[in-house]
Amino acid sequence: MLLSISWRNIWRHPARSGVLLMAIVAGLWAGILVSALTNGWIHQRFVNLIQEEITHAQIHHPEFRTEGEPWMYIENSDDIFSFLDRDERILSWSARALIGGMIQSPLTSSGVQIRGVQTDRERATTTFHENLTEGDYLDSELRNPVLLGERLANKLNVEVGNRIVLTFQDLDNEITSGSFTISGLFRTASNPYDERNVFVRDVDLQELLGDAVFHEIAMMLQDEGLSEAVTSNINNEFENIVAESWYELSPELRYITDMGGGLIVYIMAVILLALAFGILNTMLMAIFERMRELGMLLAIGMNKMRVFFMIMLESVILTLTGAAGGLLLAWLTLEYLGEKGIDMTSMGGDSMAEFGYDAVVYPIAYSNDYLTTITLVVITALLAAIYPAFKALSLNPREVVRE
Amino acid sequence: MAIITTHNLSKVYNPDTIPVHALRDVSLEFEEGEFTTVRGPSGSGKTTLLNMIGGLDIPTEGFVEIDGTRITGMKDRELINFRLNNIGFVFQAYNLIPVFTAYENVSFIMLLQKREKSEMKERAEELLTAMGLSKKFDSRPKQLSGGEQQRVAVARALASRPKFILADEPTANLDTDSAMNLLDMMEKMNKEENVTFIFSTHDQRVIDRARRVITMVDGAIFKDERK
Repeated sequence: MLLSISWRNIWRHPARSGVLLMAIVAGLWAGILVSALTNGWIHQRFVNLIQEEITHAQIHHPEFRTEGEPWMYIENSDDIFSFLDRDERILSWSARALIGGMIQSPLTSSGVQIRGVQTDRERATTTFHENLTEGDYLDSELRNPVLLGERLANKLNVEVGNRIVLTFQDLDNEITSGSFTISGLFRTASNPYDERNVFVRDVDLQELLGDAVFHEIAMMLQDEGLSEAVTSNINNEFENIVAESWYELSPELRYITDMGGGLIVYIMAVILLALAFGILNTMLMAIFERMRELGMLLAIGMNKMRVFFMIMLESVILTLTGAAGGLLLAWLTLEYLGEKGIDMTSMGGDSMAEFGYDAVVYPIAYSNDYLTTITLVVITALLAAIYPAFKALSLNPREVVRE
Repeated sequence: MAIITTHNLSKVYNPDTIPVHALRDVSLEFEEGEFTTVRGPSGSGKTTLLNMIGGLDIPTEGFVEIDGTRITGMKDRELINFRLNNIGFVFQAYNLIPVFTAYENVSFIMLLQKREKSEMKERAEELLTAMGLSKKFDSRPKQLSGGEQQRVAVARALASRPKFILADEPTANLDTDSAMNLLDMMEKMNKEENVTFIFSTHDQRVIDRARRVITMVDGAIFKDERK
């Protein structure tokens, strides 16, 4: 009966309740959408970094990541490869020779990171090859093939089929250089990455380096959550190397991932704070209009707890009704946009690529986002109704029933 | 045995500023089945007396006993529960719940008493029928005339099977026909079900129908007549 009276009370003034409901619907819809958009950005950034480059865990010489010297390669790499092959938690791995050097075209030169990759293993471990926009991957028939970012190619004024020269220090700290033919161009979501990295075959690079060495082993695991356990096992098993999980390799990625998880709370808190005043206002108006009726209820014997509960229930029902509408609308919108994506190019989305984010965003709302929203909505409704409910309790039936 | 006893009731409003003596040493007894009117000019203390008897106001001095239970000094929660099960109220402005139908308005109080659904239904239908509202079960207050609304209010007051009903100016907003019709209904319930009614009024139509008339002046009992 309380539920029934609360529901009917809400609709005493359809226009007033309707306006508040629309505000709740619009607020939650916008909140979920903004949150989903941010989730999409973060997810895409995570996928780009993890699946294209970082992977779930990596192994290096203990000082390679800070010093980057050519001689800081992974010793006993064959033993490590065997160990990795035996670990069922590791889906695939790929070893890389990494050297800082110069790329030179007939027009100009530029500093780059030369990445010597195991062609087949890299293709099985990362999705980098999917970024190829022109030409062939490194398994082409060409001698000394090299992949360049589109932006770097533009800067050097070269195209597929042209030759460039890579110059770097070999393992004996001697300057060496080699001529490479551009087999393909790539474009990732990150402009800086495209300008600073070139890909060659590991064997081609190792030949110039003077030995078959690797500076990095990248691993994709069954689950990203296994990274800590796997790296710990590797570190215990081998000396003079360090295995690190993705969040140690890229703390900023961990930061944005962690931040993204709680983002919905902050966005919704701001929206609901504004809505709370609307709910408070509506409930207060409802109480002031019904003083005589509430006084009558107290007079005839409805206890104060029930009156209090009735007011709270009205607020919760009203807000949850709006929330249901808002969530449904958000869900429908995301069903559409999740497939189609939102092209942010016209809104300066291109500049996002400077920071490694895609211009086309596919918004994602997790089930937790909906649950969090519902929880926050109920909390807001309850908090906003407390004052009006206490106001109702403070009524003196003797005074109000005669008014 | 008296169903209601007031012992030296006094009520002073604003005792620290400009004291207003709403009741002065009022001692009364009401027997079961009485049909009593408390009359007097505005400000004579009629409503204050009814509020004291109904446990809606606290006397400055004296106390009220209902069927041997002293309600003065009861805790708020106990008093609300006591009112629910022992006292019926009829208000001048009807005070029905506008979002409920006539039937729901009458059943609501029984719901608060946690009565059986079947009993609620039977009692609500019986009372509304007795009040001449058998065709108005599903009508909301807005769809009823003032007289009909007040009859629903009387049915609601009777629904909880109270020991007595306090009616504060019940006919003040009604035309003559509606007022006489309402009084007929209440008189019928008084005679047939031995329900005790106490009215506060200055409506002569009510006073004429009462079997006991208490006249108040300046918060004191001026006259107590039985017909």
